Amino acid sequence: MNINTREEGGYAIIELIGEVDLSCSPVARKQILACLKAKQDLLVDLSAVTYIDSSGVASLVEGYQTAKKQNLKFGLIGVSDSAMSVLQLARLDKVFPIHANVEERLRADG
Amino acid sequence: MCEENKPLMTGNVRNLFTDNTEHTLEEQLAQLAEITQYFATSLNIEETLQNAIEQFLLYMGAEAASIFLLENDDRDLVCRECAGPVNILGLRLRSNEGIVGKTVMTKTCQMVRDVTKDPDFARSVDKNTGFITKSILCTPLLIQGRCIGALELINKKSGKGLFDDQDKHLSMALASAAALAIHNARMADALVEQERMRKELELAREIQLSLLPVPSDTRFPVTGMNVPALEVSGDFYDFFRLDDGTIYFNLADVSGKGMNSALLMAKASSLLHHLAKSINDPGELLTRVNDELCETVSHGMFITIVSGFIDLSKGFITLSNAGHQPPLYHHRNGRFEEIPAQAPPLCILPSMQFPVTIIPMKGGSLYLFTDGVTESLDENNQPLDISGLVKLIQSNPRVTAAKRLENIIAEIRKPNINQRDDITLMVIDCRLK
Repeated sequence: MNINTREEGGYAIIELIGEVDLSCSPVARKQILACLKAKQDLLVDLSAVTYIDSSGVASLVEGYQTAKKQNLKFGLIGVSDSAMSVLQLARLDKVFPIHANVEERLRADG
Repeated sequence: MCEENKPLMTGNVRNLFTDNTEHTLEEQLAQLAEITQYFATSLNIEETLQNAIEQFLLYMGAEAASIFLLENDDRDLVCRECAGPVNILGLRLRSNEGIVGKTVMTKTCQMVRDVTKDPDFARSVDKNTGFITKSILCTPLLIQGRCIGALELINKKSGKGLFDDQDKHLSMALASAAALAIHNARMADALVEQERMRKELELAREIQLSLLPVPSDTRFPVTGMNVPALEVSGDFYDFFRLDDGTIYFNLADVSGKGMNSALLMAKASSLLHHLAKSINDPGELLTRVNDELCETVSHGMFITIVSGFIDLSKGFITLSNAGHQPPLYHHRNGRFEEIPAQAPPLCILPSMQFPVTIIPMKGGSLYLFTDGVTESLDENNQPLDISGLVKLIQSNPRVTAAKRLENIIAEIRKPNINQRDDITLMVIDCRLK
C-alpha cells in the first residue's frame, strides 16, 4: 500500500493506493488520525484501492468516529469497485458519506 | 538461575582486587577470566549490574564507578548502577551529553586526565553533588558493534589519581564482558516475558473456548466450529435453548486480531447470552447490545454478526444480519439463497435499527460463517469465495452436520498454507421434526 496526501477545497485528502490489509492498515490509521488530530476536515480517497480487509475498514471507522467526536468533516471519495463491494456487504455504505470526488463532496457541503 | 549454580568469587581473587600492589599480567588475566565467567552465568539484569559495578570499582581501584545504559530509543543515557561516595542512580542525560555521551556517540574509550580542561565534561553533576571529579575513564559497552551504554570510572585511588593506558585496556576488557552479560540478561528477561505472554494467551484462549457452547445432544439442530488463526480469536458463536423451547443462536466476527478483539468478543458474547434470555426480537436485541457496546468500544473496532431465534413450534427462523457475510440457506431442492446484511455492524453508531428477516423452515440447512472461510486461500493463492463453499457443502450431502463442518474445515485448512484468519462455521438444521 502507498499513501499520497494533499489538500483540496479545505479538506486534507489521504489517498490509499493498492492493498489495504493488516500489514499496512496501521500506517493508514496513523495518517488518518494525525490529520484529525491537526483538526483538519478529511476525505479518504479509495479510488486506487485494489483490496481492503476488515482492519482497513476499521481504520476508516475509527476515522469516522474520531471526526464525529471532534465535529470535523469526514468522508470517502472515489471508492473503487473492490472497496465498495466490501463496504456494501457490511452495509457501511450507509454509514460513511461517500462521493465520487472532492468537487461532488464540496457541492454536497453546500 | 539458582544461587548455588553460580561460580562464587574466590577469596584469592577478592584479595588481589583490594590490595594496592602491582599485579603480574598472569594474575590480571586470571582475575579477568574469573570475572568474565561470573558475568557469563548471570541472567538477572539488576544482579548483573550490581556485580559488574562492584568488580569494576575493586579491579580498577577507582573512587567511583557508574554504568549508564541507553534507553528511550537511544535518546537518553540513564545511570542504572553506581558505586562511590555520591549516588547518581537514575540520573538521566541526553545520549550525547558529557563525556559518557561522547563515549557512546563515538563508540570509543574516553580517558580524560584533567576534566577541568575538557569541554565535554558535564559540570552540573559535580555542582549538584559536591563531588570533585579529577579524571575520568569512560568505556563503551558494545555488543556486535552496537553501543548499549557506557562504563564510567572516576578518579583513580592510587598513584597520582590518574588513569593510564593499562587501565584503559583493562577497562575495555571488563566492559566487553559486562556488555555481554547485560545483553544476555536482557535476552533472558525477554524470554521470560514471552513465556508469560504465551501463558496469558493460552489462558485467554481457554476462557474464550469456555464461552463457546458445547452441544450435549447430537440431535440439537445447531452445530458450530471455530478454529482461531492466533491463540485468541475475534470470532465467536453461541446457541442455547430458552425456557419456552425457542433456540437462540449467533455467529460474529470482531474486527482486528489478538487480545483487543478477544476482549471485545468476550464482552459482546456475554451481553448477547444474557439479553437473549429476555429479548426475543433479534432486531431489538442487537439494538440493545449495540447501544451498550457503543458506550465503551474504541479504536474503530466493530462486530459483524448474524443473530436470531429458531421457533420450532411455529416453524420459522427470525434473524438480523448486522454487516456480516450473508448466511447461505441450502434449500431442500438443492438451491442456495443468500441472506444479505440489512444494517451496518455493531459498535459503529448508537441507536441503530436492525431489520429482521423471517425464514420459514422448509427443510435444508442454514450456513453461517465468517470471512475466514470464504477468504481462505487454496494452493494457487485463490480465495475460496462463496462458490467454493457451496461446492464443499454439496460434496458432503449425507453426513451429520458436525461431520460436514469438520470436512469443510479440513478442506480449507491445508497443512502447507498459513491460516490468515479465524475460521468459524455454523449450520442450522431447518427440518421440522
